[in-house]
Amino acid sequence: MALILACLLDGRPFLLLPTGLPDAQSADLAAQAGCRAVFDPEGEPLAAPPLDDVPTEPLPSGTTFMLTTSGSTGRPKVVPLSGDAVAAFAAWAGPAFGLCPGVGVLNYAPLNFDLCLFDIWSSLAYGARVVLVGPKQAIRGSALLDLVLEHEVSVVQAVPMAYRLLLDAAHERGTVLRSVRHAVFTGDTMPEHTLSGMSALLPEARMYNVYGCTETNDSFMHEYTAEEGAGGGDDPAGPSIGTPLPGVGAMVLDGRGERVEGPGSGELYVSTPFQSEGYLDPARREGVFTGHPLGSDERRWYRTGDLVRRDAYGRLRLVGRADHQVKVRGVAVNTAEVERVLLAHPDVLEAGVAALPDTVAGRRLAAGVRRAPGTGLNSLTLRAYCAQYLSRAAVPGSFRITDDALPTTSTGKIDRTALGATPAGAHKTVTT
Amino acid sequence: MDHTDTIKRFIIEEFLPDLSVDELPDDHDLLSGSVIDSIGTLKLIAWVESRFGVQVDDTELNPDNFRSVASICAFINEIGGREQTGTRGA
Repeated sequence: MALILACLLDGRPFLLLPTGLPDAQSADLAAQAGCRAVFDPEGEPLAAPPLDDVPTEPLPSGTTFMLTTSGSTGRPKVVPLSGDAVAAFAAWAGPAFGLCPGVGVLNYAPLNFDLCLFDIWSSLAYGARVVLVGPKQAIRGSALLDLVLEHEVSVVQAVPMAYRLLLDAAHERGTVLRSVRHAVFTGDTMPEHTLSGMSALLPEARMYNVYGCTETNDSFMHEYTAEEGAGGGDDPAGPSIGTPLPGVGAMVLDGRGERVEGPGSGELYVSTPFQSEGYLDPARREGVFTGHPLGSDERRWYRTGDLVRRDAYGRLRLVGRADHQVKVRGVAVNTAEVERVLLAHPDVLEAGVAALPDTVAGRRLAAGVRRAPGTGLNSLTLRAYCAQYLSRAAVPGSFRITDDALPTTSTGKIDRTALGATPAGAHKTVTT
Repeated sequence: MDHTDTIKRFIIEEFLPDLSVDELPDDHDLLSGSVIDSIGTLKLIAWVESRFGVQVDDTELNPDNFRSVASICAFINEIGGREQTGTRGA
């Protein structure tokens, strides 16, 4: 934290690396960002990245924070943010959630997540008090509950899993969290069974669903009405992300690339005052960071990949993804990329990955693998292999390894729904 | 005491259902090998507590205690020994 503040005060750009990345990926990211030193709070400083062999793009002027996309495989992308973009975001978040001296704000996300731009950096900019959650406390509901109670936290921003842990721990202890005035749900869809407990857990809180991503920061917000918070929010039309934040441009384009005016469905494009101008690697901006898709303005637009439906009131609902992206514990994972990694293993003949609903993690990945005959490939080997190429959240939670062909659909594609339907007890295969 | 087989059987049942006990080496790195994640570690701790009748403090949540079958076994022996001397005064 002190190091980041020092960089900010000194106007130096800095990259925040995710934990749990394979060393080679960390080194590659540091090299992409042109880092001259790499520090690890829990160990020795890493060796300086080999700058010589990687062509480094000059950073956009005014760059402060550099975050990364979760990059479920291959090279995660570096997202540079200008000081102006970060300041514009704080200027929205501070007043919107009453950040001021004396107010306690819970920081649940790890330091490299864009969510910290709100709960740590906007809080500090407005003189609020940040209550940090340690990695061990983050997965223990009772420890999390103690933090909120002890520090009289009044603003909470976290992924649905954190609220689930708090809800269960508070229920067990027979307590509620009266100090919380604002509760922001973000990073993933709030499951109905968690949402329905919120108004009892947080009786004094206004509650919001906030939609955003690392590239653009927050762009949409939906404030729950009393009825929704009480458990009436289960809308089969999908979770509402509400309306654009002040200064945010939003556009829905249909399958033919034409703008959807009024109610209708399509892919969401956004342009925010808080966003990055594009990934550090120009080759990877293509098709994602674009000009106005219809050429109507000079702003930089971001193609979200999210499919949305707009209702008659102008509120948007998420209905799915344009690609194979799912969220596992709030981390974006592309199942097609996980499949590609599995297929690259020499003993794998076929692979399919399904994302199944999970009470705690939101989604969990189930992999089906057909191994080459006589190889005896098992999940121990495949897990260690995946760990070399995938982030932690992208390593499937379960593997079903067989010598037989995987189930296919009528069109001959691997039937991912059938992969998910396999009961846990049926995972065993006979190894010889 | 040697709890290796008991620990292996639990890990296999929970996380590696296609393996047999002799396919899991004692020193295999369960954390960097993506066998057990943070939620899996909690499951493992809960099991250690109930199976061996011990209490794992938050300060003992050091990942290195749960890195391999061998280290879990050593950890159980360590806290088990401490509790016995503490509670029974033997």
